[in-house]
Amino acid sequence: MSDSPALETIALVGNPNAGKTTLFNALTKSIERVGNYAGVTVAVKSGEMFTPHGRKVRVLDLPGCYSLRSSSPDEKIARDALLGEAPDVPKPDLALCVVDASNLERHLNLVLQVIELGIPVVIALNMVDVAEGQGLRLDPAKLSEELGIPVVPIQANAAKGLVELKQALRHPLPHAAESPWIAGEGDSETRRRQTVARLCNLVARRPDAHQQTLSDKLDAVFLHPLWGWVSFLLIMFAVFWAIFSFADIPMGWIETGLGNLGNWLGGVIPEGDLRSLVVDGAVPGVSGVLVFLPQIVLLFLFIGLLESSGYMARAAYLMDGFMSKAGLSGKAFLPLFSSYACAIPGVMATRTIDSAKERLVTIFVAPWMSCSARLPVYFLIVPLLLHEDEGSWKQALILFAIYTLGTLSAFVVSRVLRGRLGPDKTPNHFLLELPPFRSPQWSYILRHVLDRAWSFIAKAGTLILGLSILLWALKTYPKSEGSDSEKLAHSAMGRIGAVIEPVVKPLGFDGRTGTAILTSFAAREVFNTTMGIIFNVEETDDEAATRGRLREVISSATWPDGRPLFTPLSLISLLVFYIYALQCLPTSAVVAREAGSWKWAAGQFAFMSGFAYLASLVVFQIGRAFGLS
Amino acid sequence: MAHALANELTADSAMTLNQARVGCDMTIQVLSGPSCDRLRDLGFCEQLQVRKLANGRNLICSVCGTRLAISRELADQVIVAPVR
Repeated sequence: MSDSPALETIALVGNPNAGKTTLFNALTKSIERVGNYAGVTVAVKSGEMFTPHGRKVRVLDLPGCYSLRSSSPDEKIARDALLGEAPDVPKPDLALCVVDASNLERHLNLVLQVIELGIPVVIALNMVDVAEGQGLRLDPAKLSEELGIPVVPIQANAAKGLVELKQALRHPLPHAAESPWIAGEGDSETRRRQTVARLCNLVARRPDAHQQTLSDKLDAVFLHPLWGWVSFLLIMFAVFWAIFSFADIPMGWIETGLGNLGNWLGGVIPEGDLRSLVVDGAVPGVSGVLVFLPQIVLLFLFIGLLESSGYMARAAYLMDGFMSKAGLSGKAFLPLFSSYACAIPGVMATRTIDSAKERLVTIFVAPWMSCSARLPVYFLIVPLLLHEDEGSWKQALILFAIYTLGTLSAFVVSRVLRGRLGPDKTPNHFLLELPPFRSPQWSYILRHVLDRAWSFIAKAGTLILGLSILLWALKTYPKSEGSDSEKLAHSAMGRIGAVIEPVVKPLGFDGRTGTAILTSFAAREVFNTTMGIIFNVEETDDEAATRGRLREVISSATWPDGRPLFTPLSLISLLVFYIYALQCLPTSAVVAREAGSWKWAAGQFAFMSGFAYLASLVVFQIGRAFGLS
Repeated sequence: MAHALANELTADSAMTLNQARVGCDMTIQVLSGPSCDRLRDLGFCEQLQVRKLANGRNLICSVCGTRLAISRELADQVIVAPVR
């Protein structure tokens, strides 16, 4: 941010869910995360745009806040940035107040507080379409006249009014306005409120009758004590089912494509180490992860749809009673739900939680919400538990159970932990805005999903490819003569496996699986890579499809004495391990930063790894004691 | 505090938001309690109309066209009277 300090800086300020980030994305052509609920943005984002005269300005997107009295960490970040007190953030030269036109009564209070700071202010009157749809009669010119600052009606999601807005932001910037309401009797808070009431009467007359909107009708179901839960479970199950059944077709294409690629490369490259590196290392290693691209895309698509429709806030409301039994509030549900996509934004999103202790606990348990990096592992293992011809709804049910197990365990741990941390000094009460339902912002969702898909492919092409080559080398050297299994036993990887085997045998795994688990501490998906490389069988003359079908190879793998390696019990034990293990260094780094203590992150890592091992051990040993195999 | 409050309210019609009936339009009379400021930031200001939409562990009400879910402890700090 410090590269061009001479740039004029404009900060987007406003209440949560006023559409600041949508406007920021439209102005700076960025793709920051947006959603139809309060508290999506929790950090200051910076971008650049050009005014109509070609002058470059810096735009800051601040987290939403209800007032400049900050009570949660994200509000404090916004306040500090606006006052120029935040490190690494330039002091804004102008505050662009983003205001929900359908809610002026609630949003103008913050605008007045910002004007009082003495910095120039421009108001972006957002969502004018919604306000007019509600029958509100808006008068932006009157508002501008009353406050003495430019007011521009816009519609950020449809990019309407942006040209006019940029005109208002051109150089030289407008002067700071007076704040005449400060002088007078009584406290400033009351006078500010009276000013807001007077302004709203003038510029935004509300129709008296309370109208029954579509959101009202939907809320009657989604917030109902019984139907709310039924619809919540149905929505979640439908998402899992859709991921399983829709992903099958494109997954087949990718499998075949990668299989063909391997065969073609095998034919082109002459016999030798290089061919082995490509055909037995790089291709199976990368394809073991890459085939699950459709599932990742679908997961992010559905999460995006839920977030931008406005349903998330309803789910948080519904979960509040349940979460209170875990010592958390419904507010903690939003960061936890984000963690199903990835724990990193989830941990960041805990900044919206007022209570510091509740926030710490939420950070601690967030990685147990199964993230998208676990999906490739789950999708490799779950179908092995079932016969080929069994329907996708059964697989969806198992996946649903996996997510539920992780989530419920997280709640149990958070209850214990919350009890040990003790009560808060100041009571924090549940308080949540339920935004009106909106049709999803398709253009944003599609861009977001493409962005995530691309980063998944990029990871497969860099980290996973690099590790594949490393793992191939470990499997190939030192070389020896003999059968494939003898060669593997003699290689570096085989020796590592022999060391690990006693540790993982009580869980039902052999040294090869143990090695795959060990390597997955670099990143969870590497489990598939390692399995793909270890169990890769050299049958180049076979059909194209076999090479891609890691699952079939694994299901026929055996112990040295001929018993099948993967029984239903050992597969469940493996799943349990992956539900609980924290194998993501970036998450630990973010936890250390957000919790302000590396001990918290280290403790979390040790606890989760230990718990994963114990849980897996218990499942396998108890299962065996009951005669399961 | 209690004294001042009693004077401001018309004793027969004032109640907390918790006691209000679902589906009724109310006018906010006074906010009293430790979380006043927070409630005001959210839009619960004196003289504004509020409609209670649902009871339960947390109440749902709409203020200025926005739906908010607030806990019972918070709703206890909002004194309302029926719209006349």
